[in-house]
Amino acid sequence: MTTVNDFIEQFLIAVDFQDSVEVTPDTVLLDLPEWDSLAALGVIVMFDIEYGKTIVGDDLKQSITIQDLFTLLSR
Amino acid sequence: MGLSTLRHVRFAGMASCVPKRVLSNIDDCPPSLQSERARLIRNIGIETRRICPEWQYFSDLAFIAAERLLADLKWERSEVDALIVISQSPDYLIPSTAIILQDRLGLSNATIAYDVNLGCSAYPFGLHLLGNMISAGSIKKALLLVGDKCATVRDPLFSDAGTATALEFSTDAPPMYFDLNSDGAGYKAIMLPVGGHREPYAYYHGIPTRDEHGQMHWPNDLILDGPAVLSFSTQRVPPAVEATAAYAGLKLEDINYFVFHQANRMINDTIRKKLRLTDDRVPSTLKEFGNTSGASIPVTMTARLREALQAEKKKLLLCGFGIGLSWGTCILDIDGAVLPEMIEA
Repeated sequence: MTTVNDFIEQFLIAVDFQDSVEVTPDTVLLDLPEWDSLAALGVIVMFDIEYGKTIVGDDLKQSITIQDLFTLLSR
Repeated sequence: MGLSTLRHVRFAGMASCVPKRVLSNIDDCPPSLQSERARLIRNIGIETRRICPEWQYFSDLAFIAAERLLADLKWERSEVDALIVISQSPDYLIPSTAIILQDRLGLSNATIAYDVNLGCSAYPFGLHLLGNMISAGSIKKALLLVGDKCATVRDPLFSDAGTATALEFSTDAPPMYFDLNSDGAGYKAIMLPVGGHREPYAYYHGIPTRDEHGQMHWPNDLILDGPAVLSFSTQRVPPAVEATAAYAGLKLEDINYFVFHQANRMINDTIRKKLRLTDDRVPSTLKEFGNTSGASIPVTMTARLREALQAEKKKLLLCGFGIGLSWGTCILDIDGAVLPEMIEA
């Protein structure tokens, strides 16, 4: 079972931010300074390769926080 | 149509031509973007690209590739029964670039020549189109010219190239296997919305806006929905590759090389990982040639596989995917084909 902390670790690898940033389940994606289209692509790939889950751009648009993204895993 | 087999079609040769001018994704961008570019390059895998000078067009690159290929093949011009161009950067909206090139290459008036409008998925569709004419016995020798002039200084993905491929009738040729698909529901994912009949050019399409980095954006720029293209490519391509191999009676281990359209590193690595293929069987030219649209499969074969293909017979799987949306896979044997080195013009 993936924990939210494991998920955050994978998330930070996937988004490949230049500057390190603290992320919690409550972090709002749009508040992350480097959350951009490239990071979004990285997250789609992460869901596919790491978790075997297919998500699309709209799933990301509807996700406000990291917790919302994490919830997509159990969808 | 999906899966099909073509018989008696031989892959006789192929030539690729790129512009001499090299663009660096790091150096050729505004200083304010350079730190961001390092991250971008890590993820898209593209360090340098090729760009035509203003006076050079896709048809010039394809012409040079075709001239070299015809010379090396020692084909008479009168023998070329068909010339198909697949490009989204024609010389003019009308007439077809293929017909202009029929004259420029000195081919006979009896040559079938017309254009097909496909981009990144072009190559397998082109092999199938001409292969079908040959397989049916209506023609004996044909040229397929594929590529685009799609590079701009601003955009970090696209790169220019023109390629020529020769197919011929041969009773000894092993079968070619195809899987060709289209999904027009995704047509908005990659789109040049302005300039056609639904939205003709108007004065306001010439007025750009400037973003926070000082980069100009025009209303008639290419629309590219990154997440949609990524999802499409990584969901559609792996099962299509497996289905084509199964149809051909092959396991993936039986195939020497898998040449995918060079989209970007994220997409290509995801496809490769999902198919559990090792790097050495999946050549890439993203780093130095970027995304050369429909030309990326031949460009990668020329740049990475030329010596291996000249040494002995190889079994290849070629897969193009993108605009349309469309995706096509072809499994073929290449044996004794004429493969000139990369041409820079």
